Amino acid sequence: MTTSVAPRSEARSGTGRNQGGADGSPSAPARRARKGTDVRTRVEIAVLAGPATIMFVGFVILPVALAAYYGFYKWQGYGTPTDFVGLQNYAIIFTDPDFRGVLLHNAFIVIGSLLVQGPIAIVLALLLNQRIRGRGLIRVLIFLPYVISEVIVGTGWSLMLQSSGAVNDLLQAVGLGALRADWLSNPDIAIWTLLAIISWKYIGFAVILFLAGLQSIPEELFEAAQLDGASYWQIQRRITLPLLGPTVRIWAFLSIIGSLQLFDLVYIIWGQYIAATAGTSTMATYMVANGRMSGNYGYGNAVAVVIFLISLAVALVYQRFVLRRDTAGALTDKADR
Amino acid sequence: MTRKIRAAAAIALIGVTTLVAAGCSAGSDAAGGDGGKVSMTFWHNSTTGPGKAFWAKTVKDFEAKNPNVTIKIQAIQNEDLDGKLQTALNSGSAPDVFLQRGGGKMAAMVNAGQLMDISGSIGKTAKSEISDAAFGGYEQDGKTWAMPVDVNPEGIWYSQDLFEQAGIEGTPTTMDELNADIQKLKDAGIQPVAVGAKDAWPAAHWYYNFALRACSESTLTKTAKDLKFTNSCWTQAGKDTKAFFDTKPFNDGYLTTASQQGAGSSAGLVANHKAAMELMGAWDPGVISSLTPDGKPLADLGFFPFPEVSGGKGAPGSMMGAVDGFSCSAKAPKQACTDFLNYMTEKPVQEAYYKAFNAIPANQSAQSVVTEPYLKTVLEAYNKAPFVSNYLDTVYGQNVGNALNTSVVNLLAGKGSVDDIVKTINQAAAKG
Repeated sequence: MTTSVAPRSEARSGTGRNQGGADGSPSAPARRARKGTDVRTRVEIAVLAGPATIMFVGFVILPVALAAYYGFYKWQGYGTPTDFVGLQNYAIIFTDPDFRGVLLHNAFIVIGSLLVQGPIAIVLALLLNQRIRGRGLIRVLIFLPYVISEVIVGTGWSLMLQSSGAVNDLLQAVGLGALRADWLSNPDIAIWTLLAIISWKYIGFAVILFLAGLQSIPEELFEAAQLDGASYWQIQRRITLPLLGPTVRIWAFLSIIGSLQLFDLVYIIWGQYIAATAGTSTMATYMVANGRMSGNYGYGNAVAVVIFLISLAVALVYQRFVLRRDTAGALTDKADR
Repeated sequence: MTRKIRAAAAIALIGVTTLVAAGCSAGSDAAGGDGGKVSMTFWHNSTTGPGKAFWAKTVKDFEAKNPNVTIKIQAIQNEDLDGKLQTALNSGSAPDVFLQRGGGKMAAMVNAGQLMDISGSIGKTAKSEISDAAFGGYEQDGKTWAMPVDVNPEGIWYSQDLFEQAGIEGTPTTMDELNADIQKLKDAGIQPVAVGAKDAWPAAHWYYNFALRACSESTLTKTAKDLKFTNSCWTQAGKDTKAFFDTKPFNDGYLTTASQQGAGSSAGLVANHKAAMELMGAWDPGVISSLTPDGKPLADLGFFPFPEVSGGKGAPGSMMGAVDGFSCSAKAPKQACTDFLNYMTEKPVQEAYYKAFNAIPANQSAQSVVTEPYLKTVLEAYNKAPFVSNYLDTVYGQNVGNALNTSVVNLLAGKGSVDDIVKTINQAAAKG
């Protein structure tokens, strides 16, 4: 106790006199003791939360603020920015047909991922929730692509999908030569190829999430339904899917955010320059191509701010309108309905 | 009380953040004193093989001749060099001597006051034995900012065996002849031209060369200043490029073909006789030889200059070509740094440079040691060229250059028109 009192009085001595009067009141010792623990709690909080706060402010908040600052300048990256242009960078971003292109590509990937991965993953999860032979192996195989790093996936697929690559050779060998295509180079096909690779890679993640969600549905519900004479499909439609809702919504949220941030696969497969030509550029590759690769760091920062705001807006809207109903406890809510 | 602690916490936070920030920028300050011992740092991009050994030996020899100077070498992977250099220049811990790529990148450094003006310190050897054209790439505002060490003129590298196989005699000198040869190669079942369009610039180099044929020297230099691509020759070059692209001369899947990495790259296709030719700078023989099955130089490699196009305003024989060189940072010790730059251009050093890099040395008296027939062809064309232009993406700066490159790739992929090239360039100019 003494140790905590000493620093407090020291601290007080430097802060002026108006507090002195209050301390002279009869209840001072009691208050002093409470204040002592108060201070200690605060110090504890500061010490424990400090490092994390510093990291968060230094590596998240500060860069965002800096990006906003640089975004108001034309700046080539040398020295301090001096050429203040106000909102001009933002005006260029929103009138650039290339940027409209990347928004379309991102929207396509967001929607495509949901529509392709969602249904397939649910079906796979339902299947894998049955007691079938080799279930463990199939689960591992489906989850495997998710574990492999993006760089390896990108390099592997880009080699296989080359015009003279393994995929086309295979098609030829099995007599489907007519289906050979420039999977990566043809601007009409490339984004579908990208969607296929993304689906292949991330579907395992969805399946694992859904399987976990299925495990949490109480067995009694199925038993009761069976006793009432419900068919397998009726059970899935009326019980499993509604109760899987919260998991699906969380997965969809993660999928949307991931699709908005998509960068590495595109960058590996289509390189630094031609993603826009192939029709697979995303907001992030646009930022790198027009910011760093072009040496327009001011412009690139403005793009970063736009991406940040778009992602933030999507996340907030989704949280507000879709995820909110899950917070009250989905099971009881749904059961009541 | 609460407010007080918050304030204290905020102050502590700011303090720590400042400390962290300060810790980041407190790099080693390498520049030595004026009198007595001088030490310098030196950044180049040869991280392996004979190139790395060459720089180690060159520095050692220079130190032996100048006992008061010590130079610390740092070899940095080529693709990482520009980013690291920019960070170092920004934080005030720039290397004293470093690779200079010229063009818009150099202009940005000059405008930021980061480079040393070496105009007054160029030695006698360098002045008399390096061509004005080579120095030209490093001039800005009437001053010289870097010392050239090699020249990389561009043209078409081809496989003599494949040409023979297709029944082609001699090398084409006009576009009509080139188109006829391409048809012959196609008829013989050989992919005529390799292009690494994934990197964008290799495809754009076709446009550069058509522009060099269509535009006069004065148009090219004037455009570099105002970045206005209004002269009709730019559109003409686009039309010529499109006409050539429409003959479908390139390898399968060119859009996702890289230029230099692996056997599937354009250089790899030439190295493995999968394609007959490619348009590339004079560094290509080195790249190709690293990609042949046995890792040795391609025995039947040949070279011919970019064919002439009739009706253009460009002087016949003009070439595209880059210069590699080195700059001193503004803070470097002037005497020692410029001495080192001058030493790089001396004849024996330049001869060793040629042997290490298989590239054409900037010093003309050292060019006599070049033995490879293809490099001799390059030299012959280069020394006859009435005008040598640096690559347009370098000339017009990173920003416009990048946009130019990608718009040519768009044209190649059938996604854009000839007019889009100029349109895209003007859009890019607004971003910079």
